[in-house]
Amino acid sequence: MTMFFELSDEHKAFQERVRTVTKREVTPLVEESERSEVFPTHLFRILGREGFLCLRCPREYDGPGSDKVSECIFVEEINRVCAGIGSSVMVQGGLATDPVLLSGSKELRQRYLPPAARGEKIGAFALTEPNAGSDVGGIQTTASKEGEGFLLNGTKMFITNGTICDFVTVAATTEPGRRGGGITLFVVDSDSPGFSVTRKLRKLGNHSSDTGELSFHDCYVPREKGIGTGEGEGLKVLEETLKSGRITYGARSTGIGQAALDATFSCVTQCWRQGAPLSKSQAIRFAVAEMVVLVETMRTMAYRGAWLYDQGMASMKDASVVKLFCTESVQQVVQKAVALQKRSGLVKENPVQRFLRDARLFKIPEGTSEIQHLIIAKELGL
Amino acid sequence: MDFSLSAKQKNLQWAAGEFARGEFQPDLAMKLDQAGDFPESVWKKACGLGLIGVHYPREFGGSGLGIFETVLVTEALSRVDAGFGNVLASVDAGSEIILRFGTPEQKEKILPPLTKGDRRLSVAASETEDESDFTSSPTKAEKRTDGYILRGTRRFIPNAPFADRFILLCHEPGEGMVTLMVGKGQEGVGVRPIEKMGLRLTPSGDIDLREVRVSFENRVGREGEGGLHFDHYHQERGLRNIAEALGAAQGAFDRAMQYGKQREQFGRRLSQFQIIRHKLAEMAAGLNVVRSLTYRAAGDYDRERLTPGSLAIARMEARNVLVRSVDEALQIFGGYGYMSDQEIERCYRDAWALAAELGTEEEQKDVIAREILGPPSVNAK
Repeated sequence: MTMFFELSDEHKAFQERVRTVTKREVTPLVEESERSEVFPTHLFRILGREGFLCLRCPREYDGPGSDKVSECIFVEEINRVCAGIGSSVMVQGGLATDPVLLSGSKELRQRYLPPAARGEKIGAFALTEPNAGSDVGGIQTTASKEGEGFLLNGTKMFITNGTICDFVTVAATTEPGRRGGGITLFVVDSDSPGFSVTRKLRKLGNHSSDTGELSFHDCYVPREKGIGTGEGEGLKVLEETLKSGRITYGARSTGIGQAALDATFSCVTQCWRQGAPLSKSQAIRFAVAEMVVLVETMRTMAYRGAWLYDQGMASMKDASVVKLFCTESVQQVVQKAVALQKRSGLVKENPVQRFLRDARLFKIPEGTSEIQHLIIAKELGL
Repeated sequence: MDFSLSAKQKNLQWAAGEFARGEFQPDLAMKLDQAGDFPESVWKKACGLGLIGVHYPREFGGSGLGIFETVLVTEALSRVDAGFGNVLASVDAGSEIILRFGTPEQKEKILPPLTKGDRRLSVAASETEDESDFTSSPTKAEKRTDGYILRGTRRFIPNAPFADRFILLCHEPGEGMVTLMVGKGQEGVGVRPIEKMGLRLTPSGDIDLREVRVSFENRVGREGEGGLHFDHYHQERGLRNIAEALGAAQGAFDRAMQYGKQREQFGRRLSQFQIIRHKLAEMAAGLNVVRSLTYRAAGDYDRERLTPGSLAIARMEARNVLVRSVDEALQIFGGYGYMSDQEIERCYRDAWALAAELGTEEEQKDVIAREILGPPSVNAK
């Protein structure tokens, strides 16, 4: 009868390796990609070679066949370095490929998973639309039968990797008249006729990550590219995908939280005010202590969620609790980190202002905080 | 007790709002924000309407009104756009010290050009304050027979890249703090622009002072009085910053209200969901509190009875309400709120930059505690 709250030796070794690789390969790219707002796409192959991209992808599809805990380790560490870059690679091993991994046909897996895991093809996930964000059941992109496949029509919004992707996993409805009905996923190659990138979007933060608006105009997809084509199946695939993604958001939040804490530690020990280091102020010591409590709780929540997921025990409520708690807590951590540094915290060279802008996103995608509250209440049977 | 505004005050507030709605174009703001540029023409037009120096005496180009009226104008401007609002609030930063402590000649020389839009002023406050972080070196003033020699670096100074004159708090060995003025382009004055996250329409910079010669006419007040000058500066400037924060929070609320009433999800307008209604209600409550605190503090200031504690309370509440309001407003906008083509995205950055001007919660609590408990003593039990 034992309960372990430690990473296994293998996980610890993996964490070390991730730290070494991100420091060597990712850190030098941050400044330029944040400035130019262009994702350094060559990084995909580098991280693919290390086996970091699709961590839960089995060996038969060129993945490392690892687990959710490992995925969270990778996501935490890369977000600690840069959340924008972290965002793009997180989508690769999460939302973009999870539907294929979890419910795709063997052919679909064989076709899309190996190049994704190796970083040779970049994936995106397209669910949100201009008029359907929180309201998933309200999506208006249609899939109408055409010969042996479907014609997709609609617009997708805020799509990570949108303008750089080679394939995109798209949600559409085969029954536009029925709210929430007929939701099906399709994997669409970005060179398909009828698919186009309408624009690249500029954002408050996550500048390194690519965000686009996509358009589907009579875009033909063969039936074999569909996932969850049976009645009600698409929604289930979507839910499983989002469940996994919401847990990952716990690790993503922990990564920025830790980075903000690191920056705060060096600020309060080096910065003098009124003749003493800031760290000698009781109020500042309390503030730092509160940040530590939040970051440690976030980490515990995220990895517990990942562990539950690996055991096949994670419910949607578990995932929502992780996402809600961690994405809200990280706001307090980064806000404190910025406030402490006053004007100097807002200068471009100071990473804490980037942490503030980047972390602000987290309360919005994959179900806003408000949606997570609703899910938790609903799962309780209220 | 009467908390209502006079007809004249309402008119002034309305006029400032009209000007802002007409001139603060979102497209222009977006362009300037991206480039980190100053809105030259908007500034000139505002001066033409008498919006700079509302509280200056008429003989120095002002309207002869109080800080209360300046607060009303500042709030009205920042409500429409916190970025433009900050520009117009900060082009005369440091006038506080000239108004209160300057000689008639200094007032005559410095103040009217500020109201006409011919000159811009900037201020670099004390070393002991956290404008100076650990990388700053103190600004030293060495007295000579014909004036002073200045050396040092001041960081994160708003308006630094284009201000015509800087008012500096300097340390004079043996005499304490002294307030000196240096001009743009004066020998030894170097300005390095900095890039910042918010309030980018008000460019900032670091100032290097290398053997800068300052004549006695460019000293404000007496030697050893610098601390007093800057305490006064922080009080008056603090009220204007609070007014900006109030306006910015109101602006975020206005935008969230408008969006909430029009955006539909799940077949209903956002403003029909209880939790969104409550968010807006909370914002309205916060605005009400901050407006009361701000107006009261400004009124007290004009009657010369504002205490540091009351000002600190207003600062702390204004800061917290601003940061919370803009965060909830962005949340109501959802994914769109995070995109740079929505104004609320810039509101978020500007709000955090304003929050930095207002100071940290810990600092305000120190001031409040000092007023209710007296100064902390190391030896006290």
